[in-house]
Amino acid sequence: MIELRNVTKVFNKGRSNEFTAIEDVSLSIGARRLTVLKGPSGSGKTTALSIIGAMAKPTSGRVEVFGREITSLPERFLSRIRREHFGFIFQNFNLIKGISALENVMIPAYPCGENHGVLRNRAMGLLELFNVSGKADSMVNWLSGGEMQRVAIARALINNPQVIVADEPTAHLDTKLSREFMGIMAQLVRDGRTVMIASHDPLICDSEDIGMVVSFRDGRIEGVQENR
Amino acid sequence: MMKTRKSDIFLVVLAVGMYLVIHLLLHSYFSFRNNGSQISERRSLVEKYGLSDLCLFTDSQYSRNPALTDLSAPFQDHPVSLEHFPSGMLMPPVGRRTYDLD
Amino acid sequence: MIWIEKQRNIIDLALSSLLRKSGKNLALVIIYTAIVFILASVVFFISSLKREAALVLEASPEIVVQKLVAGRQALAPESYIDAMRGLRGTANVRGRLWGHYFDSTVGANYTIMACDDDAQLAAGTITIGRGMARTLSLKKGDSMKFDAYDGTSVDFKVGEILPYRSELVASDLILLRSDGFRRIFGMEEGSYSDVTLQVANRKEMATVAGKIKKLLPDSRPILRDEVLRTYEAIFDWRGGLLIVILCGAVLAFIIFAWDKASGLSFEERREICILKAVGWDTSEVMAMKLWEGAVISLLSFIFGIIGAYLHVFYTSYFLFGPVLKGWSVLYPSYQLIPAVDPYQLAALFFLTVVPYTAATLIPLWGAASIDPDEGMRL
Repeated sequence: MIELRNVTKVFNKGRSNEFTAIEDVSLSIGARRLTVLKGPSGSGKTTALSIIGAMAKPTSGRVEVFGREITSLPERFLSRIRREHFGFIFQNFNLIKGISALENVMIPAYPCGENHGVLRNRAMGLLELFNVSGKADSMVNWLSGGEMQRVAIARALINNPQVIVADEPTAHLDTKLSREFMGIMAQLVRDGRTVMIASHDPLICDSEDIGMVVSFRDGRIEGVQENR
Repeated sequence: MMKTRKSDIFLVVLAVGMYLVIHLLLHSYFSFRNNGSQISERRSLVEKYGLSDLCLFTDSQYSRNPALTDLSAPFQDHPVSLEHFPSGMLMPPVGRRTYDLD
Repeated sequence: MIWIEKQRNIIDLALSSLLRKSGKNLALVIIYTAIVFILASVVFFISSLKREAALVLEASPEIVVQKLVAGRQALAPESYIDAMRGLRGTANVRGRLWGHYFDSTVGANYTIMACDDDAQLAAGTITIGRGMARTLSLKKGDSMKFDAYDGTSVDFKVGEILPYRSELVASDLILLRSDGFRRIFGMEEGSYSDVTLQVANRKEMATVAGKIKKLLPDSRPILRDEVLRTYEAIFDWRGGLLIVILCGAVLAFIIFAWDKASGLSFEERREICILKAVGWDTSEVMAMKLWEGAVISLLSFIFGIIGAYLHVFYTSYFLFGPVLKGWSVLYPSYQLIPAVDPYQLAALFFLTVVPYTAATLIPLWGAASIDPDEGMRL
């Protein structure tokens, strides 16, 4: 479903601080599975994830998402693909401070111009699903780590994307919350979504719900391990 | 429970504000039309007594009658013309000639 | 529909974003409103006076002729009047008696003028302007003492007080018969302050003035057009000066607004990163920032304009009063007739709203270059 062919990403090309984040990566990721990109920090897994998520363009190589070549698309189309097909969960959750949890959940859907009432109900539904509807009107700054995590997941799901992309989601969570997170991800896969997580947390990498583990080191794929 | 949207509140405030601004324009237009008598009253007074200036500042000759005073008026009026602050500062004596001598 | 709904969503977020720093933004709106308020007050005040001057002074004498001696205005002799009567194209040549009277008891200057055509003005009575009546608390029937040129004093009875509506032209005016005028100032029969006349053909005004100047080389003819132009110039000059005085405040505001609008704080940059990462397009991020600027500037504009209108036309420009009053003891009070037109509003709009909103767009060149994947690296 998602294909990377000979993808290379070079940052600050031509300057003295040029460095190659990933080099000649080819990867095929199947639908409705939980895939983990594993590796130490700086190994290129986050870069790979951002290229898969249509956030960054590769310096060379080709990327196909749902059978569509996206490397040549202009930014406008990329943001649309991002919005419609991907849900993102970031390392510090990256919620926008100073606005309510509910509004944070709704933000990815704002540019779609959907009816506000419908959108609001859907966002409330998601917050209810994750047991944080009571905090809908609270500012995100006042939420606990667990609540922020669930709000961030709700935000990733608001546009009903096929693919969920998470970057080091458990880096700042304790064991209990990390397990809860993996539980939710596993449920999403069972519901028919594709989930991709970049992490070096053993708690994630050794989880039995994982379909495939891709190991990164120094910008290259070290190994691919299929669980099923 | 449906909370009022912030954007709706803003758009309503904006619409009311724009309505008020347009209302000001109309108010200005109509108060001019309806106050014709007031202006014609002043006009007839000006005509009757042959007045040639507006009574804006009364503190010195040249600011009371800017149209009629000559260039030396500020110096006649007071050795330090800034004494008539701020009218003396806001209102310079104006002397110009538009007719030709031939 | 989708577009409208989208913009409403974006406005929602823009407002949330503004409310996050509500104290700072409220202060910004207040200062901004104050600037619009003062600028608009000046514009409204001046344009109203300007129109008034143009309409009212249309009725003033077509030509006023002064006699100049050593650069100063001197009394015009009877021969002046005769000479001008003899010119072709002149009509209604009349000697005018007027001057200023300084009242040492209250320290006020009055304009005193003789008028013999007014049937209501009996000998020994005066008609006074409303402002003067206010300053001296004079009523109809009261008597007023004038210090004459020779040290004696002359009593007059107040026969009439000019209506309130006439204050703009006659607030400080004293009208009396010419014999009374001559008695106070010791002016001989046959001499006048200046001479007014009418011209049969309006197009000939300049020509007639030229002829007068040729005939009476020590005279100074003043045309009505010049008077009108003088007022035009005064108001432009005065409005400009007030704005210059305001410049300091305006500049301070510009710096403040520039800093506020054009700098991307860490928090704002983070917000833009997140928005882009979750699928907002650069144009949508820009729309949001534009709305933020528009909310602040539109609200300030509307509040400022409405405030200025009320200030100038309903509270008698109480803030300007002290500035315009200066040393005047007698200060005319007049209700101005609003002269606000769409062009003024458009000019104010372009001077206030557009620059601010545009300034909010400047940092977005930077924002546009933020890659969505920066959201991953926050």
